[in-house]
Amino acid sequence: MGMTISKEQNTTAVSAVVKSLSDRFGDAGITAEAIAHKSGKCFDFVRIICLPDQWRAVAKWLHSEANVNHCSMITGTHFPEGTTERGWEVAIHLHRWPIVNVEPHTMTVHDASKLSGNDVPLEIEVFVPIQSGDSPSIPSVQDLWVGADWNEKETWDLVGIDFDGHINMHRVLNPHDSPIGFHPLQRQHKIRYHDFNEMYDDPQGFGRKPVDEGRVK
Amino acid sequence: MAEMWITMGPQHPMTHGLWTLRVKVDGETVTDTEAELGYIHRGVEKICESRDFTQITPYCDRLCYVSAMTWAHAYIMAAEDLLEAEVPERAEYIRLMAAELQRIASHLMWLGAFGPDIGNLTLMTWCLRDREMFLDLLQELGGSRMHYNYPRVGGVKRDIPIGWADRLKAKVKLFEHRINEYEMLLDESTIWLVRLQGVGYATAEDQLNAGVTGPNIRAAGVNTDVRWTNPYSVYDQVDWEPAVEKPTSVKGADCYDRYRVRMEEMRQSCRMLLDAIGKIPGGHNTHYSPGDEMIQSKAPTRAPEGATGTSTYECTRGVSQFYVQGGGDGRGKYPYRLSIRSPMFITIPYVAKTMIGYKVADIPAIMGSFDPCIGETDR
Repeated sequence: MGMTISKEQNTTAVSAVVKSLSDRFGDAGITAEAIAHKSGKCFDFVRIICLPDQWRAVAKWLHSEANVNHCSMITGTHFPEGTTERGWEVAIHLHRWPIVNVEPHTMTVHDASKLSGNDVPLEIEVFVPIQSGDSPSIPSVQDLWVGADWNEKETWDLVGIDFDGHINMHRVLNPHDSPIGFHPLQRQHKIRYHDFNEMYDDPQGFGRKPVDEGRVK
Repeated sequence: MAEMWITMGPQHPMTHGLWTLRVKVDGETVTDTEAELGYIHRGVEKICESRDFTQITPYCDRLCYVSAMTWAHAYIMAAEDLLEAEVPERAEYIRLMAAELQRIASHLMWLGAFGPDIGNLTLMTWCLRDREMFLDLLQELGGSRMHYNYPRVGGVKRDIPIGWADRLKAKVKLFEHRINEYEMLLDESTIWLVRLQGVGYATAEDQLNAGVTGPNIRAAGVNTDVRWTNPYSVYDQVDWEPAVEKPTSVKGADCYDRYRVRMEEMRQSCRMLLDAIGKIPGGHNTHYSPGDEMIQSKAPTRAPEGATGTSTYECTRGVSQFYVQGGGDGRGKYPYRLSIRSPMFITIPYVAKTMIGYKVADIPAIMGSFDPCIGETDR
């Protein structure tokens, strides 16, 4: 039988982190709660909602106190029709895994059922809403997790959210000579046949016209 | 001696795809590196904003042509989290077997491409020969050789065909012997050992901090694997254990450890397949027609605004993650935003930096041992 983390271990670890986060940051208006996945094993994860100027403190706490050692994914979203408080949002996904360096010729074989405390694997989702405007930015966590480095580069490149304190920011997926201010995942950029169902609305393609027809490319 | 920059790629046998490694060399020694990506950026995340949840699956297949099934599975899990879909157990077993077959096929493709990097051309032909067996099995499920479009929200497209189980057992058992053949070829080859041992060291903690996961981190001596740390599917019901390798130095795992751990991982996948085919609910010699509630449950097709779904998945090259937001165009028919975490996108910049201090001739060995795939990297 393949071993696995039990539901109790998961719930205990998540509620411990939620409790200490609320104790530490609850006064500052940061919310932390345990949310369950809605399919599969329905395990819990921690969801934190904080403001951009609080993110750095939360990240430092997670890194040093909760032993969160993996920055998995940083994503930005553009809400042009959103509220003033949430015109943009950064979603950060973090993990905690029991990983330590080993001595030569040895290995660490964890037994899932014996893990406890800060060794229990954990999944964390952080939402950072940013005020609407032309220059969204949040602090960088490049120095805490090296893995955040290229994630932040990608988020700036594609969505246009800037990371204060990020060293060596440059284009990673778009061409290096893309126009300044061009970030394709912002919602004002439409892909050519957006809202147009090629397959059903116009099967032979006679009426097909790109939305940017007539404009200089 | 004066240092100079050399550009390796985008067309270079070492790169396994289109990307550029800029290397600063002092004589034969690498003193600095820079990775440049984005040559085949297709804008998958943007395209997905105007596709409904079923139409996205083929795009996720095409993220990585070597490992299409695992990527589609990772996406479908996020979509199920968003749409709150239940998956029948038989479908979970079928998905598990499909993903493990894909894992073997992907590792074989890696080994086949890695051999010529090192100077062992035999390996390419052997690996492609054996990969064919697994592609045939996957073709019976999905209908095509590379891009299967097989998982569906709430299940799988169609059931396993009659007789598939027997073919699977025969091929997996044959392949278990073939792994031994590979090891006899490689572990006794002086070229193989000299070029892999003692180069490309990376410790477990450094790798995790830099976002490197999967077999690369298990080669450094820890058995962390998303299949048990963040469990999904029915990995808790089948017989397996994570492949781990003991590193030989305090500096962590070298290229040889990373090769060893992938060989062991293929063995574990074989073990899982043989166990799962015997335990599959409903029996392995029955065939349910497409849409039957044994293999696909009813699931909503629209997601409200504010709903989110995530999946964490042990892909063949590391941890892949999907993040989907509901409430897009068409009253929630499309996702508002879909974001993909590609393990290789994070790994390649790290690997570029691990090459510093080694010789130029070690670059293909180090790069190849991390199993780069540019399709998923550039998305």
